[in-house]
Amino acid sequence: MSRHATIPAPSRSWHDFLIEHAQVLSITVFFVLCCLLFSILSPFFLMPDNLLNVLRQMAPLLVTAVGMTFVITTGGIDLSVGSIVALTNAVCALALQAGLPWPLATVLVLILGGIVGLAQGWFVSYQKIPAFIVTLAGLSILRGIALLLTKGYSIPIDEPSAAPLLAIGRGWIFGFPIPAILAIVILAIGAFVLRETKYGRYVTAVGANAEAARRVGIPSARILTSVFVLTGITSALAGLLIAGRLGSGSSNAAEGFELDVIAAVVLGGTSLLGGTGTILGTVLGALTIGVIGNGLILVHTSPFLVQIVTGAIILLAIWLNTRIFGRLSAGRKG
Amino acid sequence: MSRSAEPLMSLSGIRKVFGSNTVLKGIDLDLYGGECLGLVGDNAAGKSTLSKVMSGAYIPDGGEIRLGGEVVHIAGPGEARRHRIEMVYQDLSLCDTIDVAGNLFLGRELSRGGVLRKTEMLQKGRQMLDALDIRIPDMRAKVAMLSGGQRQSIAIARAASFAPRVLLLDEPTSALAVAEVEAVLALINRVKAQGVAVVLVTHRLQDLFRVCDRIAFMYEGNKVAERRMEDTNLDEIVKLIVGGNRQEAAALDRMGAGS
Repeated sequence: MSRHATIPAPSRSWHDFLIEHAQVLSITVFFVLCCLLFSILSPFFLMPDNLLNVLRQMAPLLVTAVGMTFVITTGGIDLSVGSIVALTNAVCALALQAGLPWPLATVLVLILGGIVGLAQGWFVSYQKIPAFIVTLAGLSILRGIALLLTKGYSIPIDEPSAAPLLAIGRGWIFGFPIPAILAIVILAIGAFVLRETKYGRYVTAVGANAEAARRVGIPSARILTSVFVLTGITSALAGLLIAGRLGSGSSNAAEGFELDVIAAVVLGGTSLLGGTGTILGTVLGALTIGVIGNGLILVHTSPFLVQIVTGAIILLAIWLNTRIFGRLSAGRKG
Repeated sequence: MSRSAEPLMSLSGIRKVFGSNTVLKGIDLDLYGGECLGLVGDNAAGKSTLSKVMSGAYIPDGGEIRLGGEVVHIAGPGEARRHRIEMVYQDLSLCDTIDVAGNLFLGRELSRGGVLRKTEMLQKGRQMLDALDIRIPDMRAKVAMLSGGQRQSIAIARAASFAPRVLLLDEPTSALAVAEVEAVLALINRVKAQGVAVVLVTHRLQDLFRVCDRIAFMYEGNKVAERRMEDTNLDEIVKLIVGGNRQEAAALDRMGAGS
């Protein structure tokens, strides 16, 4: 193999490129197609105000999806993100109501998210309970705590001193929504960390082959715990953004959020088996979901159709993905 | 390159017990630099257990391990690596979704402030492969896209590139195509030429003649014989492995010991 049978093609052939990036490419095509379709069907779709509005609405999902991309890249899953959003959202409002200054409340909420993630990560990596089970329990427990704390009521954030927090959720800077800017910053950091740092490499290695990672001395258990801390903190940030946008904290916030986040990450080509994940794919996956929701409303279809179409698109995209990907790899071997 | 005068690694009276089953019953074995030792035996003879003791994956229940004359206790794979003992496992310890350079440096990434130095790893990785005459056209290809032989070569190159004293190879050729076996065997010879003590655990007897200088035969937890390659032949090797007639094996051993 070494001397004679080297691959005759140039070192980075088009074919290799296609195989390696099949997932991101296919979601890009999907995203562009969706945009084209809706821009034909509705004159409002491509207006800057509408697009910025989509981005603003997507901000909490995009932020949490960064953490989720790391978790799924290790081969794990976090079903509790929606409940963490609800809990942190409610705790934030309660803390402000109790008279805490907003910077302190913000830090408190982010730490709370981190601790929740740490606890779940500990059960997953050190107690070897499947992530699905741990975070399913988390999904139930955490929303339960939020309900208990708020007694089911929505807590208004009307303290004048909390105005900066409201601005984070609903403000604009230079004609750009602040939550969207925050999301873009978090996405950029996430992409850099996953691609370019030692930590990101370890996350990928643990997902690709945990045993190999352990044998070469990578602290797999600590890495596995840390990714849940990431979903905890990013979910808490999403909780803050939602609190700011709605001006209230509620235990009923972000119901079903975890499914949208997971759908965005998986649509973006991050493998549920672990080892492959890109933030770029996640962004495209999230935006595709966002654009479909927005576009269907603009063309005046029934709002109930959004869920059906989103689900169908996910299935279709992943199906195409495996078909194309499978065929290309088979072509390589043959 | 001729073998080192003193053994680099020396095992004496190594015992390993699993429950009521004594898997290693007092093994003595010397490994010399620049020499390849073939470790052979039938299934369950204890050769895999012995290689795992040497690589730190198992802690022996009795006996002594000396490295360069000093007694050491190897408490785990990480410690073995610090003693510059590397092992390449049969089931390839590579990460499929990481590129060639990334796998070569897995767990020892070059970084500054936590940021990977990818260009440097590409260059140094290329040098690592060149030094062992391994041809991989694209350092940025994901390992999943490579052939079995290329993958095995990368696994061996990774173990061989961090100046090991002892390199343990568990069945490195068992799943490869013929041409790939040739390349891996040639690679083992080049690693050996660098003065490393190589241990080859294998079922493929034809490989022994290509790379080994010495063979140790395991049978039911004992080392029943040891031969220099030039003093033996395929018939004798098969007899010693099968070990069906222990008397005969012992007789052969006494004859062999005289030479």
